Amino acid sequence: MTVVAAPLRTAPRRGLLLAPVVLALTILAGTAIGETRLPFITVLQTLANQLWEAGYPVDRIDAGIIWSYRLPRAIVAACCGAGLALTGVVLQALLRNPLADPYLMGLSAGASTGAVLVTVAGVGGGAVSMSLGALGGALLAFGCVVVLAHAVSGGAGGGRATQAAAAIILAGIAGSQMFNALTAFVIARSANAEQARGIMFWLMGNLSGVRWEDVASCSLVSIAGVGLCIWHRRGLDAFSFGADGAASLGINVPALRGSLITATAIMVGVLVSKVGAIGFVGLVVPHAMRFLVGARHDRLVPASALAGAVFLVAADVISRVIVPGQVLPIGVVTALVGAPAFALILVRGARR
Amino acid sequence: MKIEVQALSARVHRTPLLEDMTFRIEPGELFGLIGPNGSGKSTLMRCLAGLSRPSAGRVLADGADLKRMPARRRARRIAFVEQQADTTDRLTVRNAVELGRTPYLSPLRGWSEIDDAAVSDALKAVEMTAFATRLWHTLSGGERQRVHIARALAQAPELLLLDEPTNHLDIRHQLSLLDLVGRLPITRVIALHDLNQATACDRIGVLRGGRLFATGAPSEVLNETLLAEVFGVAATRHAAPDGAPRLHFSHAL
Repeated sequence: MTVVAAPLRTAPRRGLLLAPVVLALTILAGTAIGETRLPFITVLQTLANQLWEAGYPVDRIDAGIIWSYRLPRAIVAACCGAGLALTGVVLQALLRNPLADPYLMGLSAGASTGAVLVTVAGVGGGAVSMSLGALGGALLAFGCVVVLAHAVSGGAGGGRATQAAAAIILAGIAGSQMFNALTAFVIARSANAEQARGIMFWLMGNLSGVRWEDVASCSLVSIAGVGLCIWHRRGLDAFSFGADGAASLGINVPALRGSLITATAIMVGVLVSKVGAIGFVGLVVPHAMRFLVGARHDRLVPASALAGAVFLVAADVISRVIVPGQVLPIGVVTALVGAPAFALILVRGARR
Repeated sequence: MKIEVQALSARVHRTPLLEDMTFRIEPGELFGLIGPNGSGKSTLMRCLAGLSRPSAGRVLADGADLKRMPARRRARRIAFVEQQADTTDRLTVRNAVELGRTPYLSPLRGWSEIDDAAVSDALKAVEMTAFATRLWHTLSGGERQRVHIARALAQAPELLLLDEPTNHLDIRHQLSLLDLVGRLPITRVIALHDLNQATACDRIGVLRGGRLFATGAPSEVLNETLLAEVFGVAATRHAAPDGAPRLHFSHAL
């Protein structure tokens, strides 16, 4: 009988060794592929020059493209993919709803509103950066959703925790509609044509402005997010049979839900503030990974983070090369892949 | 585990569901809870499981107030099988039972041989060993209920709470499940709808409108007058072929 359970604990180790290799290869590929084709060896030589002062003769323009432009972009894409996929894992596990993701919770919409208020309407008078505005917006939207869900489910003493989970999804839909409307209102009222175009581009997700300054915060939140989720893997597992089930297994449900969803809100706020609102990663990647590695979070969390990173780097590459001479918003690519996958999840769910 | 319920009241949305309830459950006892729909059985179960906080009064488990007990420690001593707990996750039977070890594990203390043994024993106790690798959504209702009980047993509890575990099961599964519960050597509280099944309990508590109407041995409590008053049915009690008392219900009053 122990034989049955054994693979559960040996398999992740092999995967964990492989993960950094896959991640490094993905980032290298994201750096090498682009409108200007650069040989793989040039990429490696540039990296060697920068990291160890190896002194390979590399064209300065090529080196600039690789080091200052493509590499930070690929790293940030990987971080965002990992982070957004994780938020999907967390929300789907805690709310017991297969359609939960940062979009549905109104987090992305709130972040957009915050960013637009700062950049277009000039809230904060230049003292507040767009990132801070987006973070504030995400947390505010999250607060609204929680308060609304609380009101819907009838207060703390209220009924079953499962009802609360359904309420938070409905509240999330209401919240994202409201914040999207607010964003549209601010753009229509205050933005000139040029700004509006820029904002629309950002709203669909845009990695072209990413530089080395952005790498630190993005990698910090996504690595912290992976760590936090792995730390709480058993708590996430315990939600398999709902919040009451988790509570009777000794999980402090309000504390775990509160801390993980707050962490999610912060993660989304930081990532969206850097790259805009990229949809469907948080929805599609966790489902695909559940299919591949199962529902247990000791495997699902690292697998989703890795797959999210690979998916978003790939989506970024596609967005740069698919239309010659033009960069598509990355959200267009993720949505074109994600929307059919979303439909598939719905259909499969209905059949069950 | 000895359970003392002292002046327990509970309310949801300001509606009182349980009022001033006092009784005790002795260690090793099989205690049945019966009562019409909405009489407060599930609410009482949730209070005993520590999932709902009483608005007044308290529940003592071996003298310790349940409200003050940390969730992890509580889960090592009290296991709860909910009325209907389902999942859409692709879990195997063994995975589901492994969840019962959650209160013994921490982020740093990983899975061990002891946990494996506890899971295997629990599967064996409910005769589901052969199903260990089956996926949850391929199981029948009766099999799922058995897995839930195995999960609860994997918690190695001193008190097992079962909220209407025979609901939606065919008669064979009902009887085998009750037989299984009857043989467990721990304190058990079981909410039941079928009054004839309740006669197998050591003692029963009868709830009506959120109050404890009566407690005692089934043979004393389940009489014609009480059944008429609490359940609103005309019933007669007679001996089954094996000599055990059986209730026969004729019509609603």
